Amino acid sequence: MSSADATADAARRPFTGRRVRFGDLVLQLVAGAAALGATVLVGLIAWELVHGARPALSKYGLGFVTRIAWNPVLGHELYGAGSFIFGTAITSAFALLLAAPLALGAALFLTELSPQVIKAPVTALVETLAAVPSVLIGLWGIYVLGPILRDHVEPALHSTLGFIPIFGEPGAGSSIFTAIVVLAIMILPIVASISRELFLGVPHELKEGALALGTTRWEMVRGVVFPYARGGIAAALILGLGRAMGEAIAVTQVIGGGVFIHWSIFDGGDTLASKIAASYQGATSQLFSSSLIYLGLILLVMSLLANIAAQWIVRRVARKHGVTRGGHA
Amino acid sequence: MPKCGSFTRITATALAAVALAGVVAAGAGASPAKRAGTTISGAGSTFVSPLVAQWISPIGSAYGYQLQYSAVGSGAGIAQITARTVDFGASDAPLTPDQVTACNGCVQIPWALGGTSIMYNLPGVKNLLHMDGPTLAQIFLGQITTWDDAAIKKLNPGVSLPSTKITVAHRSDGSGTTYNLVDYLSSVSPTWKSQVGVGTAVNWPTGVGGRGSSGVSAIVSSTEGAIGYADVAFALQNHLKYFAMKNNSGKFTTPGSRGILAAASSDQKADANNAYSIVNPPKKFPEAYPISTFTYVIVPLQSSKAPDLKKFLFWAVTTGQKGPYTAKLRFVPLPKSVLVVAEKAIAKIHS
Repeated sequence: MSSADATADAARRPFTGRRVRFGDLVLQLVAGAAALGATVLVGLIAWELVHGARPALSKYGLGFVTRIAWNPVLGHELYGAGSFIFGTAITSAFALLLAAPLALGAALFLTELSPQVIKAPVTALVETLAAVPSVLIGLWGIYVLGPILRDHVEPALHSTLGFIPIFGEPGAGSSIFTAIVVLAIMILPIVASISRELFLGVPHELKEGALALGTTRWEMVRGVVFPYARGGIAAALILGLGRAMGEAIAVTQVIGGGVFIHWSIFDGGDTLASKIAASYQGATSQLFSSSLIYLGLILLVMSLLANIAAQWIVRRVARKHGVTRGGHA
Repeated sequence: MPKCGSFTRITATALAAVALAGVVAAGAGASPAKRAGTTISGAGSTFVSPLVAQWISPIGSAYGYQLQYSAVGSGAGIAQITARTVDFGASDAPLTPDQVTACNGCVQIPWALGGTSIMYNLPGVKNLLHMDGPTLAQIFLGQITTWDDAAIKKLNPGVSLPSTKITVAHRSDGSGTTYNLVDYLSSVSPTWKSQVGVGTAVNWPTGVGGRGSSGVSAIVSSTEGAIGYADVAFALQNHLKYFAMKNNSGKFTTPGSRGILAAASSDQKADANNAYSIVNPPKKFPEAYPISTFTYVIVPLQSSKAPDLKKFLFWAVTTGQKGPYTAKLRFVPLPKSVLVVAEKAIAKIHS
């Protein structure tokens, strides 16, 4: 910690000029160490990934990122991340699109609209959903959700919206579509419970003031609740996106696999995380396992980029609408 | 003060527990030089894991050994024994020359014999439909896509086959069962051999992947028209139908003990690494089921647990092959000639 930092910190503190208290010092040290620890951990993971991926990195270079290939047969080995990056992007983006309105709707209902009696049990149930192990959701995906989507939802979507290439011929039940729905179910409780907390944090005076001005409930929600919680909602969505991008086991169980990019989401595919989870234990050569670690490295970079992009969007939106909330930025 | 006392007591108990755990852990693996522990740990093949699970209790009462096995997949089993984090590894695919070198002084011993069934889900159609190698290869290559294809009809005269779409289900993880299947497909189809090849994981030309044999059987049982593969016990447990496969003599055989044993007798001579190849046996074995395989245990030649390991392995290839353990799981007792090879290899283990 440099002295410049220390003085800057001191200037910001309300008790500037007082002697340093022992308790404050300890707090600063402990909290600082925790923050430093988290940063160092990410750094170490990144370093370890680069180190582990080195054989694949030096053999394929950046061509690996765009190549659509995955052949682990000894003597014919060729690896590339193209189709998995596509799979990760499409599953997590669609899962978020599917989950966001549901989660926000659930959170709004629980804070603004629901009768008092059912508030507590429904809140508890929504949060329980987050505690269901992903492997169980995956199993349910294979046996229950997949066949239902295949036999009822996919044919309906195909016959009505089939002119859009993503709704192709119904597939086998294990598909990118099933993975999207499973992921949406998994991120729904995260986004919903964070949003609920945010909506609860909107000051009553603001809401009542709006209602007193004669707005409808919807106008109040749109004019007061959403703008006030906007930054937090975006953060909740980012968290959900990160979860969707990194989820491995449940996706491995229902996504069907396959090394190709195609338009229809009713076909199989793989994400970066699902490919790693499915293949890592059975990796038969050094190039195979280092290519899998390379996939992990790409996933790390992708989530970092998604995070940065999301934060940038949040800041832009906040500036444009000139944040209505007082106190904290 | 009493509060403080109880706190101290709790701390002391916790410390003692930690210390004890450390000692136990050390005894179990970290310092094997002290005393050959009675825990024997292994990892690898999921194919053989139900059989190993059957052995845990009898080996415990016979020798007092605590047998621990984690079914993490053949590839992982090889990796773990190469790193010596377990006492034995288990793999369905024989070690590649590179793996033999990497394992540095390991010996591979055949210790179980089984078959891979090709399961299907086609309501209203009988069990044990006929299938042959070239047709199966075309199905897995994505060249035959419906059940009423001429090739399948020709193999099953008199059976009315629907026009249902064929959905191929395969393993998405690395697997010895996959190895057994693609080894067979390569031996019957030059196209498969050149386009796809042989390995515990391959670049599948078509189909959907499931995680583990349970994942594949889940896809097959929930998808009309699906074809997948797993060891026979799996097909039976899940009440799935499976094909009678045509062998080189022209006979259609099932993955029962007779067919697998006949296939096993087709390769009498193990290679330098004790590996046998018994897929697609020649036509002088008319009873042979063509997708059969030995599965192997891999142990270091030099082991601090040598006496215990030898006793366990000897038990596994003799008593462990008997009916009560193998029959229900559709494993087949090792033939005599293989037993000789196995025993010779076990004898070489030393401390």
